[in-house]
Amino acid sequence: MNRRRWLIHLVLRALAHRKGRTILLLAVLAMASSLATALGIVSSSMGKRVAEEVRKYGANLVIIPETARLDVGSGGLNFGVVSEPTYLLQRQVEDALALSGLHAERSFHLRGTLHWKDADIIVEGVNFADIRRLFPWWQIKGNWPVAGETVVGNDLATRLKLKPGDTMELVGKDQLVRLRISGIVSSGGEEDALLFLALPELQQALGLNGQLTLVRLMVTAGGDSLKKSAAALQLLLPKVKVNEVRQTARTSEGLLAKVKLLMLMVTAVVLISAGSSVAGTMSTTVLERGKEIGLMKAMGGTRWEVMLIFCGEAALLGVSGGVAGYLFGSAIAQFITRTVFSASAEFIPWFACISLGVSLFLALLGSLGPMISVFKLDPVRSLRGE
Amino acid sequence: MATAIIETTSLTRNYGDICALKPLDLQVPEGEWLSVMGHSGSGKSTLMNLVGGLDRPSAGSLQVGGKDLLALTEDGLARFRREFVGIIFQQHHLVPYLSAVENVMMAQYFHSVPDEAEARLALERVGLGHRLKNRPGELSGGEQQRVCIARAIINSPKLLLGDEPTGNLDHKSTVMVMDLLKELRDEERFTIIMVTHNQEVAAWGDRTIYLDDGVLVREERMNS
Repeated sequence: MNRRRWLIHLVLRALAHRKGRTILLLAVLAMASSLATALGIVSSSMGKRVAEEVRKYGANLVIIPETARLDVGSGGLNFGVVSEPTYLLQRQVEDALALSGLHAERSFHLRGTLHWKDADIIVEGVNFADIRRLFPWWQIKGNWPVAGETVVGNDLATRLKLKPGDTMELVGKDQLVRLRISGIVSSGGEEDALLFLALPELQQALGLNGQLTLVRLMVTAGGDSLKKSAAALQLLLPKVKVNEVRQTARTSEGLLAKVKLLMLMVTAVVLISAGSSVAGTMSTTVLERGKEIGLMKAMGGTRWEVMLIFCGEAALLGVSGGVAGYLFGSAIAQFITRTVFSASAEFIPWFACISLGVSLFLALLGSLGPMISVFKLDPVRSLRGE
Repeated sequence: MATAIIETTSLTRNYGDICALKPLDLQVPEGEWLSVMGHSGSGKSTLMNLVGGLDRPSAGSLQVGGKDLLALTEDGLARFRREFVGIIFQQHHLVPYLSAVENVMMAQYFHSVPDEAEARLALERVGLGHRLKNRPGELSGGEQQRVCIARAIINSPKLLLGDEPTGNLDHKSTVMVMDLLKELRDEERFTIIMVTHNQEVAAWGDRTIYLDDGVLVREERMNS
């Protein structure tokens, strides 16, 4: 039998001899590492879940043109500010987005007015495929439009007594646009008062080819990254405004950060308690095994060799506790995410390393004091039972 | 005369204000069986611990097998013990969760490499071939002491130390253990230093020294 195999054999025998204490230590280590694993997995799953939820709120960055403003006055009199509509250049925005390398879903918007039956109607040109992806909360009564079709906001439809199947002839800048209403949109927001048609059709009708009034972006990043993305885009588009939609992003991220901090604190408290428990149990074990340690030293074991045996015991407990903790923690995480978020937790294999690391760290750290005792123990005195 | 394996000059050991061993000059020739007698607290075990490298003297010089034990570090002393010394304890001090053969292998582990076949042979030599797999709790006092002897001799030490090895045994077991030690000594030619209270046990040796209050007061050579 080589020395390593003998050491493992010795460690296993020693642990098996003190079954009760071994089980207690294993339970403490498994509990601590399972909690760290469970909270870690829940935290990670929660982050993704919240990100998914945030997606439902739509864009988190908007690009809008700088408004051209002109002070109107004469002499000492100031009559106020006159602003005229300004536009974004679609090509410029697309180039900037490509250059920035930003991973973002996007939707281009052009807002304007078209004339219908002696009234001006506010209309918005969009790409309906983008809208369906970015604004999943839109409810359409009827069908999503195809070319030559439009959807009308619920309030507008009520006001103008429009319904799916009706046809409208809208007048733009020297151009007539004939549209069939495919559906009535209801979003609970300002969209309910608008009429939507395909972006190229509106651009043509208004004589604003390649121009936009708004770009909505949904960047798949959070916190500082979103801020950085906005700043990066702003550098590439100096003559427009790139704004964060702070409300949803910040609130959800803030809440998430607080929940994560809470979880971290709970984990820290549990780890400290577990570490103390391991330290107490290991100290008792070392005290009880004083004669055994003295004997090992009397037989010629150096302080390091004897300590290695006890470190081996702690390490084996740590590894076993870590494996059990990972399995148990994954199950707890699954239970929590199913119960609280109605979703299943991800299987994250690398959390096994965290669980092992936590358990091993606790086992070795908790054994540090007892190990120092083992190191210092005088063989003569310990064999006498002092 | 054989060369001295142990040589002490003014060897002293103090524990605080208490002088457990007063300056002692002693020479033990290689292969000798030296019995150390004296009352409790006379310094017998202190002498044995010093010679075995388990303790450090307060003053004087101590050469064992040509090594100056005072010059050795803590780990150096441990290496000296594993290479040079075998110890038989009164209380046996066997590891309770290991079998007889594993207890012997434990000494091999600290010396070099555990070898079960060799450990079995050692136990067979002390008449425990049929008790290899038994744990200490399943063995009688005499059997435990024989495991302790097998463990002490497994690494072929030059010096065998016995701290009242028969102190806990009945007469029959005592005779059995002492006969065994004599037989092993005759075969292996190691030096024995045995601390005992028992005059009859001391008589197994070649020479007996008597300590009283840390002082060597008398020396007696036995007839072979």
